[in-house]
Amino acid sequence: MSVASISKPLPRRVQQARDYLIDLWERREFVLALALGNFRARNASTALGLFWWVLNPLLLGAVYFFVVIALFGRQSPDFLTYLLSGMFVFHFTGQALTSGANSIIQNSRLLSNLRFPRVILPLSRLIESTMGFIASLGVFCFIAAVSGQANFTYRLIYLPAILAIHFVFNLGLSALAARLAVPFRDINNVIPYLNRIWLYTSPILWQVSTLPNLSELARRIVEFNPLFSIIGVYRSALLGAPFIGSMIVTMITWAVVVGVLGLFLFIKYEGRMVRYL
Amino acid sequence: MRPAILIENVTVRYRPYFDRKPTLRRSLTQLRRRQVEEVVALDDVSFRVERGEAFGVIGHNGAGKSTLLRVMARTLRPDAGRVVVNGRVSTLLQLGVGFNGQLSGDRNIYLGGLAAGLKRSEIDAVYDDIVEYSGLGDAIHRPVKTYSSGMFARLAFSVSMHIDPDIILLDEVLAVGDADFKSRSFETMKEMLERSGTIVLVSHSVKQIARFCDRALWLDHGHAMSVGPARDVVKAYNQHNRALERVQGE
Repeated sequence: MSVASISKPLPRRVQQARDYLIDLWERREFVLALALGNFRARNASTALGLFWWVLNPLLLGAVYFFVVIALFGRQSPDFLTYLLSGMFVFHFTGQALTSGANSIIQNSRLLSNLRFPRVILPLSRLIESTMGFIASLGVFCFIAAVSGQANFTYRLIYLPAILAIHFVFNLGLSALAARLAVPFRDINNVIPYLNRIWLYTSPILWQVSTLPNLSELARRIVEFNPLFSIIGVYRSALLGAPFIGSMIVTMITWAVVVGVLGLFLFIKYEGRMVRYL
Repeated sequence: MRPAILIENVTVRYRPYFDRKPTLRRSLTQLRRRQVEEVVALDDVSFRVERGEAFGVIGHNGAGKSTLLRVMARTLRPDAGRVVVNGRVSTLLQLGVGFNGQLSGDRNIYLGGLAAGLKRSEIDAVYDDIVEYSGLGDAIHRPVKTYSSGMFARLAFSVSMHIDPDIILLDEVLAVGDADFKSRSFETMKEMLERSGTIVLVSHSVKQIARFCDRALWLDHGHAMSVGPARDVVKAYNQHNRALERVQGE
């Protein structure tokens, strides 16, 4: 009978994963308090405070906008929205990588004094930057409307779902960076360069369609980049182009693979972290 | 009766060259010849702490006292041995863990309490007591970074004592703060002992241990030299130190 199968003890790994998640859920208030605390502290120490949420992505976009125009001349009128949509999405992932790598090291006192699921640290940092990302999406819509390039469609309603998938991807990435940065502090020096390379190899400053006679292999390499599909799906929603099925599938696959792998490696290792601090 | 803390044959080794700082280069170049230079922080240590007991840990710098507290706080998993802890633990290994200096005292009460494992509603219930006990008054609304070290200590201690712990682990943290705060802290800890709470106290001040603790453990280079009534252990420790001084003097 089915009752018997329910009462069968779960495999040890599944049991552990469930206990970990329950533990994490019990600590949800702490996760939010950490995220909001960091956020408030950051605002308290700068003159412009909250405005930096909006200013940061804006300045970033403006710098690259003018660099591209200076280097390659006039762009098509929709270039601004193309650039900003890619830039804001990229910035969210780049931040996940940076803050993830710092999350454990900067909280060494918490780690050596208190017991809690360690994933709380990268998670709370990610929640903090998610708030910034949502604000930057608001900025994007405003700029798109003002510049007359807005093409808002019903597809905007998919944004929360897209954001959720992106969040899982970023969480896995962030956990992976944290896992590696604890024993190998060198990672923190490498990440800025990694981010820079990732920015240039993602379709943000350039468009696939404008790349002259790309070979099949080169095209595959370009499209293998997880941000290729992630940015592509966001653009469909933000710029009103039709969704491309294969991009959605690729994005979800990346999120699941990186999310599961990152969290698994992080949690497997977290008991030993305190020894490296 | 179940003990509050049971430590059985616990060993902790640090491998400073590999465990602590294996930089990328080192781990790549030294993959084959692992020059493991182990430091044994705790060597086969066993003892138990009963409920309602004040337990002291003494020893020189580097004897393994802080490592032992981390093992009891279960933030450090030992390489060998068994650790059993019965009850809610509050750790004061360092003061103000989880605090954010940019934020006000009242926000930090919540941050510290949540970090220690409380629910927001549980903190709401003791919030007024925490503020009153800390004696900070209106300063509670100021950023913590503006506090003096004594004020900081008072707030941190107040939070730790109000999360209603069964066991509290203290590492040398009562050295800060004025005499009035110190005597009030010991008063509070005595009340906690009467409610059959348990206190583990690490201190350099053997006088403090002899006066306050029921039993004590003397650690020397990771070895448990003796466990027993606090006065006896302190006496043995002092005799040992005097003997050492004589040897060094000759």
